Amino acid sequence: MMKKKKVPDWLNSSLWSSPPSSAAAAVPSPTPSEPPPPYPPLSVLDPPEPRDSPVIDHTDPPPDDAHHHHHHHNHNHNHNHNHHRSDRDNDNDSDDAVSSLPSAEEISRQAQILAELSRKVIDMRELRRLACQGIPDSPGIRSIVWKLLLGYLPPDRGLWSSELANKRSQYKQFKDDILMNPSEITRRMYNSTSCETDDAKCESRTLLSRSEIPHGEHPLSLGKTSVWNQFFQDTEIIDQIDRDVKRTHPDMHFFSGDSQFAKSNQEALKNILIIFAKLNPGVRYVQGMNEILAPLYFVLKNDPDEENAAFAEADAFFCFVELLSGFRDNFVQQLDNSVVGIRSTITRLSQLLREHDEELWRHLEVTSKVNPQFYAFRWITLLLTQEFNFADSLHIWDTLLSDPDGPQETLLRVCCAMLILIRRRLLAGDFTSNLKLLQNYPSTNISHLLYVANKFRVQSV
Amino acid sequence: MDISQKRRTLLKVIVLGDSGVGKTSLMNQYVYKKFSQQYKATIGADFVTKELLIDDKLITLQIWDTAGQERFHSLGPAFYRGADCCVLVYDVNIHKSFDRLNNWHDEFLQQADLDNAETFPFVLLGNKVDLDGGSSRRVTEQKAREWCASRGNIPYFETSAKEGYNVDEAFLCVAKISLDNEHVPDIYFPGISETASEAEQPRSGCAC
Repeated sequence: MMKKKKVPDWLNSSLWSSPPSSAAAAVPSPTPSEPPPPYPPLSVLDPPEPRDSPVIDHTDPPPDDAHHHHHHHNHNHNHNHNHHRSDRDNDNDSDDAVSSLPSAEEISRQAQILAELSRKVIDMRELRRLACQGIPDSPGIRSIVWKLLLGYLPPDRGLWSSELANKRSQYKQFKDDILMNPSEITRRMYNSTSCETDDAKCESRTLLSRSEIPHGEHPLSLGKTSVWNQFFQDTEIIDQIDRDVKRTHPDMHFFSGDSQFAKSNQEALKNILIIFAKLNPGVRYVQGMNEILAPLYFVLKNDPDEENAAFAEADAFFCFVELLSGFRDNFVQQLDNSVVGIRSTITRLSQLLREHDEELWRHLEVTSKVNPQFYAFRWITLLLTQEFNFADSLHIWDTLLSDPDGPQETLLRVCCAMLILIRRRLLAGDFTSNLKLLQNYPSTNISHLLYVANKFRVQSV
Repeated sequence: MDISQKRRTLLKVIVLGDSGVGKTSLMNQYVYKKFSQQYKATIGADFVTKELLIDDKLITLQIWDTAGQERFHSLGPAFYRGADCCVLVYDVNIHKSFDRLNNWHDEFLQQADLDNAETFPFVLLGNKVDLDGGSSRRVTEQKAREWCASRGNIPYFETSAKEGYNVDEAFLCVAKISLDNEHVPDIYFPGISETASEAEQPRSGCAC
């Protein structure tokens, strides 16, 4: 089921190769993963980080009386959740409920994760197995575990400090190089008297006399190669990034509002997205990337370790690059109709649903004519960040990031489970009500959702 | 009045325009009478419905609020299919969003696979006329009207989603010209109960 992706040659070649100084920032190929561990049900406890207010769905779901009939009572045919154990009884249907006290199982898993994290060389297979069941919300754990799962931190703890120092200084270099005003770039270009690399172009540039500014680099030149032309193109992207960063989680004080804190967090998101766009010209910035970056940055910035929190921007940049490496094709318009693009990913979801619930598949796609693109495009490209409240998204991401099948496969299973969990309502619905329901997915019990999704793991092998 | 006895008509409306011009805000103002400074970027397309009565006829407007960024254009055809009207939106304070109307217009016609491309109805909305009391305005009403004239007399409305200015009027016009354009009469409507319940509430002033 782990499909070998065929990436067109052009994408592998120049567009994805990074500038010489930034080899590490280009999106790498996904890291090989270990075989699947046994997969007990998750338990979700209280929402992890402070949520500022009840999460407001950006689409303002229309009033719908049927919503509360749903939750996880709405089970269906092919699984029997009585099997899974008492931890489900602790789950809250309402997110703000009681259980600030972790269950015994939760405590023991936390202890196990901490024990694993304190080993000299972390057993990633074991860590994945534990994290798959949900990462405890205690301060700092998720931050480290996500960095490990994304391959940003190596399993050998002895290497952490040098690795982090290295990456953080690399990021600082990107910032210096990329977030610079073009007039500064041109100034440096013509003032440079020495060149440390043996790059021929660079050498020839140094030969230019100071007074001689070539046509191409004059601000009013429209030459394609002009730094300024590049700058004007960039401005459009930067404006877009700016607009989207400002409206990232408008309901959370961490991201939004007039506080210094929110402003500095917005600035960090903006820097990361601009640098990513510049280093990855084949992808650039696509709307919605801000929503994928937001949870990463939030988790890293809330690390109780002051140094980690201070370098959250740099660390989140590399984690973002790693995460997107598995999803980049969804963002590339030129790939929309290819076997790796978003359309075929959506088709795979449709096939998965058909495999597991043909009746529902038929009703949705044939009878009520709901094209899966109408809802699954956002589900998939934004990794479900818009469909649930922020805390629930983090729990889903714990599983997406730790499942050995990789985030994309896991994501498709979760999407399929989302459909099946509300199958009764969907089967009773027409085009309008079904599409509204799917675009405004009702809040649900996440641990149960993940449990159901795990059932769809391909049993063969 | 017994609405359920009436003929129901479903009209599909596509809202297009650059990112940030206020497409989502207009739709939310029209359907929910709400405004927020901070709607998230639309990814793919959001879908809402609104019911209204025109000449004793019950209309369901099915409005598709699309993503503004160019990257999403290739997904257009799936959303555009079967459209009865296309609403173009620009921001009167951003000239570029006006300049790009040609692209939106032509691209829609190309992608929507229409059999009546020459007569297909568009409506243009110039949004955010409230901004800075009009002092940051970059596109004049005259210029916009000239563009509309050059494109076969597209109806034009200046709107403020924020203040709810001209929004109902604009969408009433959208509904009316969609109705004129509508070639497939009644659309199969299996889940009539769901929409009927929504229709029981009194609707806004469009029921003229």
